[in-house]
Amino acid sequence: MAVGGKALFCLIPYRSVETPEPEPIYFLFKFLVIGSAGTGKSCLLHQFIENKFKQDSNHTIGVEFGSRVVNVGGKTVKLQIWDTAGQERFRSVTRSYYRGAAGALLVYDITSRETYNALTNWLTDARTLASPNIVIILCGNKKDLDADREVTFLEASRFAQENELMFLETSALTGENVEEAFLKCARTILNKIESGELDPERMGSGIQYGDASLRQLRQPRGSAAQTKQQCNC
Amino acid sequence: MERAMEQLNVQLNRLTRSLRRARTVELPEDNETAVYTLMPMVMADQHRSVSELLLNSKFDVNYAFGRVKRSLLHIAANCGSVECLVLLLKRGANPNYQDISGCTPLHLAARNGQKKCMGRLLEYNADVNICNNEGLTAIHWLAVNGRTELLHDLVQHVSNVDVEDAMGQTALHVACQNGHKTTVLCLLDSGADINRPNVSGATPLYFACSHGQRDTAQILLSRGAKYLPDKNGITPLDLCVEGGYGETCEVLIQHHGRLFQTLIQMTQNDDIKENMLRQVLEHVSQQSDYNYQCILTSLAEVATTNGHKLLSLSSNYEAQMKSLLRIVRIFCHVFRLGPSSPNNGNDMGYNGNKTPRSQVFKVCGCVGGPELWPLECCLWRPLELLWHSLDEWLVLISTELEKNGRGATASDIPSLLLKQREVETSHLHVSMATESTPATVLRSSPPLLGGEVMVKPPEVYADGQDVISMTANRLSAVIQAFYMCCSCQMPQGMTSPRFIEFVCKHDEVLKCFVTRNPKIIFDHFHFLLECPELMSRFMHIIKGQPFKDRCEWFYEHLLAGQPDSDMVHRPVNENDILLIHRESIFRSSCEVVSKSSNEKLKQGIAVRFHGEEGMGQGVVREWFDILSNEIINPDYALFTQSADGTTFQPNSNSSVNPDHLNYFRFAGQILGLALYHRQLVNIYFTRSFYKHILGIPVNYQDVSSIDPEYAKNLQWILDNDISDLGLELTFSVETDVFGAMEEVPIKPGGTSIQVTQENKEEYVQLVTELRMTRAIQPQINAFLLGFHTFIPPSLIQLFDEFELELLLSGMPEIDVMDWNRNTEYSSGYDLQEPVIQWFWEVVENFTQEERVLLLQFVTGSSRVPHGGFAYLMGGSGLQKFTIAAVPYTPNLLPTSSTCINMLKLPEYPSKDVLRNRLLVALHCGSYGYTMA
Repeated sequence: MAVGGKALFCLIPYRSVETPEPEPIYFLFKFLVIGSAGTGKSCLLHQFIENKFKQDSNHTIGVEFGSRVVNVGGKTVKLQIWDTAGQERFRSVTRSYYRGAAGALLVYDITSRETYNALTNWLTDARTLASPNIVIILCGNKKDLDADREVTFLEASRFAQENELMFLETSALTGENVEEAFLKCARTILNKIESGELDPERMGSGIQYGDASLRQLRQPRGSAAQTKQQCNC
Repeated sequence: MERAMEQLNVQLNRLTRSLRRARTVELPEDNETAVYTLMPMVMADQHRSVSELLLNSKFDVNYAFGRVKRSLLHIAANCGSVECLVLLLKRGANPNYQDISGCTPLHLAARNGQKKCMGRLLEYNADVNICNNEGLTAIHWLAVNGRTELLHDLVQHVSNVDVEDAMGQTALHVACQNGHKTTVLCLLDSGADINRPNVSGATPLYFACSHGQRDTAQILLSRGAKYLPDKNGITPLDLCVEGGYGETCEVLIQHHGRLFQTLIQMTQNDDIKENMLRQVLEHVSQQSDYNYQCILTSLAEVATTNGHKLLSLSSNYEAQMKSLLRIVRIFCHVFRLGPSSPNNGNDMGYNGNKTPRSQVFKVCGCVGGPELWPLECCLWRPLELLWHSLDEWLVLISTELEKNGRGATASDIPSLLLKQREVETSHLHVSMATESTPATVLRSSPPLLGGEVMVKPPEVYADGQDVISMTANRLSAVIQAFYMCCSCQMPQGMTSPRFIEFVCKHDEVLKCFVTRNPKIIFDHFHFLLECPELMSRFMHIIKGQPFKDRCEWFYEHLLAGQPDSDMVHRPVNENDILLIHRESIFRSSCEVVSKSSNEKLKQGIAVRFHGEEGMGQGVVREWFDILSNEIINPDYALFTQSADGTTFQPNSNSSVNPDHLNYFRFAGQILGLALYHRQLVNIYFTRSFYKHILGIPVNYQDVSSIDPEYAKNLQWILDNDISDLGLELTFSVETDVFGAMEEVPIKPGGTSIQVTQENKEEYVQLVTELRMTRAIQPQINAFLLGFHTFIPPSLIQLFDEFELELLLSGMPEIDVMDWNRNTEYSSGYDLQEPVIQWFWEVVENFTQEERVLLLQFVTGSSRVPHGGFAYLMGGSGLQKFTIAAVPYTPNLLPTSSTCINMLKLPEYPSKDVLRNRLLVALHCGSYGYTMA
């Protein structure tokens, strides 16, 4: 298992013996999953990565990690996802992971108005601590429990609109819209890179070049000035 | 008659010619004999002689001879005997004749670069395309040896420049492997396939990289060579890193920019040799300031991600911890080199002991918080995120501790902390619980896109205790990384104020971690050994750890700076051998040791006695043994015997020997050196002198080793109320100074300060220090000066005085029979008591080390006196080992009174309980029992 564990964290699977050369990774996006305790953040992540519902999920301690390589608009992108604890006592720890995130899933539970009411706080945290440019998608989770619904689709989508968020209702149980939520967020980031709105070169953008990217060692003369510019963060 | 004359003349002529030339002038008829006559002439290219001999003979010029069945033409081609070669060819020698290994004369001429011979062979239609049995052709031979000029001529005759040998290797492959630049160019110009794989898929670039042929790789890449892995997926970059070929790596990265990230990511791979990868990164970083910053920023990013993953409880602690520390180590090494600058060339080497000399980073003042940093400080930015998380985690733990503290009493906390939860893993494929995180589960699942696997978040409910037990060693590993990063921004040997502040801030949490799991100290808290100011905070916890663990930690750290012992054992340089004269061992040793460099002596000692052959570990051991015995030789007046005659300490009158302080320094060096190389010495010091080595204050009991009667008096003062005795003592002593008695104060104004019941303890301490320390202070200082050249004070303080004795002088043999015979019993015990019988059975089954610990526990010394236990000394004369009975209460541990060699053994109900309690006392009591 130790070997498996190691392979787990290899960002780039070089020396892959049997499989043909994997698609080179263009970008690496840092994602956050945030929201109140018990809204199903870990289950969303589990569903996204394993295509399965996590039956006996417990409260997350601190921050957990998961990653998946996806294809967005013809480019291979690796999502590095930090699944944060929703409990208040971990708040200061989880906040320390915000900086440099490119995207976030802001999760509430459609059967709990309390979790919906907390959204403004989470949103402020994300925008101030991560980056004002962070791409956020609002996820109303537990869509399968429609009978117990306390937050209407309309209400939430209005909230999303007012706060310039994308919005989806998801179900970690059935898997509905889970993949879409992550991919939509990634696609938006990629679009912003292509339109020049986001600069991957900037530190703390939450975007790193993958192994197929162009970031490379140059031998520039007078590189000091250039470097200073890049430090503009 | 005339014919006879003529015949005689011919014979005479032949004789004369033969004699004049000192050889036969006629070829024997038999080919085999003839060929051996001709061979030396061909080798020397004596073509006239050969021609003459061949003239009228029937010799077959294609006759193959010898083990490899070569013809004379082979010999001529091999040796460059061009005249003979032509002669043989003219006489019909076959230019394509192959020897037993399939080699033609052309192969041999090519191999040895015989230009003229090759030319002639080609004129006579030698076939350039013939392969030998290994598939090698003439151009392979030329390419191997880089004979470009010859190749240039030959290649025009070659039908296929990509002709493969048995391994599928072309001339280009072998030229690249050997780095023959012009040969490579020549072959490429002649149309050689630049991307041709051999049977295992290795391309010319692959071959160039496997041997670090920088220029060749450069040529190949600039001519458009593809970057291809072999059939096992091993890439040219992998090969460069494996061999530590920084320059070649640099060339690869210049042409394939994406390899830069690949190189950075390699720091996460446990299979790659760290020092080689480090060399490569160091080299690349030194090529430009941009490279330097790029590498450090990328490493910092990777380290931060790894650190955060380590703090994810579901990750594999071992793998993730190693990965983080490896990346941070490499980061620090590269950082220390500083950015490249004209006066900071590559000759700085890779020892990593540089202080940052970059102006840029001094200006940055990276010791402050990130907010304070100027914009240039991007290098550290990513890591600051990790340190921030670390800080928040520790604050969180502190809050949890407070919460628990309110609910439970202090003594309950450790047991609460140890509480571990079982996890339901029934539906999981694999469960993997690391030591400290029993409740985490790692799950492997079918890979999704790109072979990715995912970690399953933990399956636990988090209560306070669990959070602490699950995160303690993960956080400790991050602390270790934090310390490394802080230190590499400081000059060597200085602790970063930021780190000290950090430890002070989180003091309580860190203490909780190590109390709960002391292994953390040895695994991650190496900073303690480098920062005495922090060490003192943890000393009581460290001293409570088993002697063995501290020993390992001691040596691990002591030898940390030395090259790995698994490196090839270098032969001893003749100049580094310590040549010692047996008859003057002390003086000659002192001389050679003072001439050697301390660094060399640390690397290893080789001793040879003058006029003797022997060398090796045995001789080294003998040297330490004899020399240490000689150091205490009374003739030198350096050391003096203790009252009981078995131990030694510096002689306060040693100055009769004018060079005494030098000798003390030498004695310290020898003791330090012995400890460094785990050699035992044949000296036992007084307990007070061991304390001096350790920097532990002496106490009045130590006086008994040099003046037992006086020690008893001091004891008496302490034990009795002295208020009304009218002792008229002041804080002074009368000393004989050059024959006149003088009153010397032992503290400022001491002659007028009365000793009272209230201040008597201070008085006893001061007179003790006067007798034990101040009298021999210069000697102690000189000794420590020598000792500390090999053993840093911060390391030796891991031990107490008893353990130091064991470390220096080793375990003595203990004869249990003799011990038993010379033991007395009191307070109701006798030899027939079951408890006593159990006791001896237990001691009989003890290891040697445990017996020594027991002896030390009771007598304060690890040694059996000369003559056996019958001569065991107490505070005042002979004092046999005594076992006294104590009423038993559950969990009661044995105690001892070392002054009277008495073991106070509770009346244990069973042998098992006795053994168990005794071992607990021996193993855990090393710190506490000095008080008993």
